Amino acid sequence: MNARLFLCAALLAGCATQNAAPPGAQVALGRLQQTVVAGQTTKAQLLAAFGPTKNVRFDSGFEAWVYQSPGGAGQFSEFVVLLDPSGVVSKTRTRAPSPP
Amino acid sequence: MMPPSIAGVVAGAAMSAVLMAAAVNVPAHAAGQNTVTVKSTRDPVDKSYRKMIRGMERFERERAFAPHATLRFQLLPRLPNVDMTGITLRVAGDTVSVPVPVDENNFFVLPRNAQALQQDAAVLASRKTASMTWRARIETPGLPAGTRRLGDLRLECRVGKEAGLVSNSSPLFGWISDALDSPEGVCTSPDGNYLFFAERPIFAVTLRAGERAETLPFSMLYAGGEQTPDMLPFCDCQVLLDRTYYVPLWDASWPDDTLVEFTYMVDAPARVAP
Repeated sequence: MNARLFLCAALLAGCATQNAAPPGAQVALGRLQQTVVAGQTTKAQLLAAFGPTKNVRFDSGFEAWVYQSPGGAGQFSEFVVLLDPSGVVSKTRTRAPSPP
Repeated sequence: MMPPSIAGVVAGAAMSAVLMAAAVNVPAHAAGQNTVTVKSTRDPVDKSYRKMIRGMERFERERAFAPHATLRFQLLPRLPNVDMTGITLRVAGDTVSVPVPVDENNFFVLPRNAQALQQDAAVLASRKTASMTWRARIETPGLPAGTRRLGDLRLECRVGKEAGLVSNSSPLFGWISDALDSPEGVCTSPDGNYLFFAERPIFAVTLRAGERAETLPFSMLYAGGEQTPDMLPFCDCQVLLDRTYYVPLWDASWPDDTLVEFTYMVDAPARVAP
């Protein structure tokens, strides 16, 4: 039983470590909103301007990239960019500030 | 040092080995003998009829979450190249076989059959093991296009877990599913992680209740955005990752009538006037 409990604790600790990954590069919201234009901005331009950030790539070729923008009082806005399969921004959205 | 995801898989495998050993029945009278009896496990894509009926009974008991809704089940792709057209389904026991009609969107309603229940029948689909996953689908009629209702999703989670529908395949997920994931634990906890699938690839999900509206964080889309390529094959979201989302089932500040609104990656084509 002790061995089982130990393995269980180790397993849960592993999950917790993975979930603690940084949620994305921190960039001022104004800079993101001025720089990133749907239908124009490319993946290469995003990388050049802001560096790599947290992203998810899908089988369809689309990618979702997320940036965090400090919003004061320890809160962050999320700025999410959708890249189409050709590597051009197709949509953006901003989520209101919330605690990390 | 191994990456956490690999470490998780190894830990899961080790855990699975311990549990498999624990699942082996060694009768007292057989101590010292070499013969053991191993409890069989069902093929992951073939579901227990009894468990699915238990899910239907839970739907009836907890209709307060979705008083006007109907319950169906749905088959969804689990592997990249599975053909999701023309699927046939049947309830199969020792001597009974009941065909189950599946519609063009792979929805079906499970019939009640006392003989199949008594024989602990399986619900079998005409596709290979682990090529599909299953979900309950509970829908209140008359909702706006591109929305779901939170109470419907709350009940879907409870019915889906009761019915044993999730088809994750690794020892890690399987062990958690068997030993830790009660419907109450999964559907009432912020760590419950019950995955829902939208109709199309999503870009945003927003909750709306009266004047209150809140867009879900990125971490509640795409299976949390934490699925690495080496882990993805173990998740039943493998080929549906861009349709995957969590909702705060546990958060009572959002009433059951809350609308869950989807913004899709690609907008629907505008309707052309006749």
